[in-house]
Amino acid sequence: MEAADLELRRQTYAFFVDHGRAPVAKEVGDVDAVRAGWRRLHAEHAVVLNPATDELRMLNPFAVVPTAYRVRAGDRWWYANCAWDAFGICAALHEDGRIETSCPDCGESLAVEVRNGQPDDESLSFDCLVPAAHWWDDIVFT
Amino acid sequence: MNLFRSEEHIARWLGSREPGATIPVTTLADLAVAWWDDRLSSSWVPHARAQNTAILDELGLTGEFWVLA
Repeated sequence: MEAADLELRRQTYAFFVDHGRAPVAKEVGDVDAVRAGWRRLHAEHAVVLNPATDELRMLNPFAVVPTAYRVRAGDRWWYANCAWDAFGICAALHEDGRIETSCPDCGESLAVEVRNGQPDDESLSFDCLVPAAHWWDDIVFT
Repeated sequence: MNLFRSEEHIARWLGSREPGATIPVTTLADLAVAWWDDRLSSSWVPHARAQNTAILDELGLTGEFWVLA
């Protein structure tokens, strides 16, 4: 990965964490250059774009759009793309936090406090449907 | 990649669908720390496949299901 793309990625993540929302291209540089850079980063799985609009869809582990996984890390709330990413937000921000979602089977609310990277409720289970070799075939489904 | 009340709930939710992999939430938490801890570092570079495979191996996430692309 080129240094310029790594820098664009760094700026994009920094904007997201600072503002609590994803930037549009003009907010992090020349529009055409940023869009081209984001497409390269998307190809390298370093960001995820909405294929229909070329706008940011995921800055893993963060979700750019609302999802079923709400995460409080420190004193701020975020959305995660999945359960793995929900814990990942606390890990990436190096913060304790709280994950709120619901069981896909029964619909019961699930709330997990995360302290030092560990959940306070160890009775829960995580299921991954898609084999690792195919995670990036359709990362939004995964 | 979802969180469930228990393995029983996963089995009911799957029904006749092909099962994936089920792991305890504590293993998931350890995986998340190992996988995402450096994501906001100013010196972040993409993890090499071998690096991510080592993370999975360390947590006992081995076998065909966990083989990365």
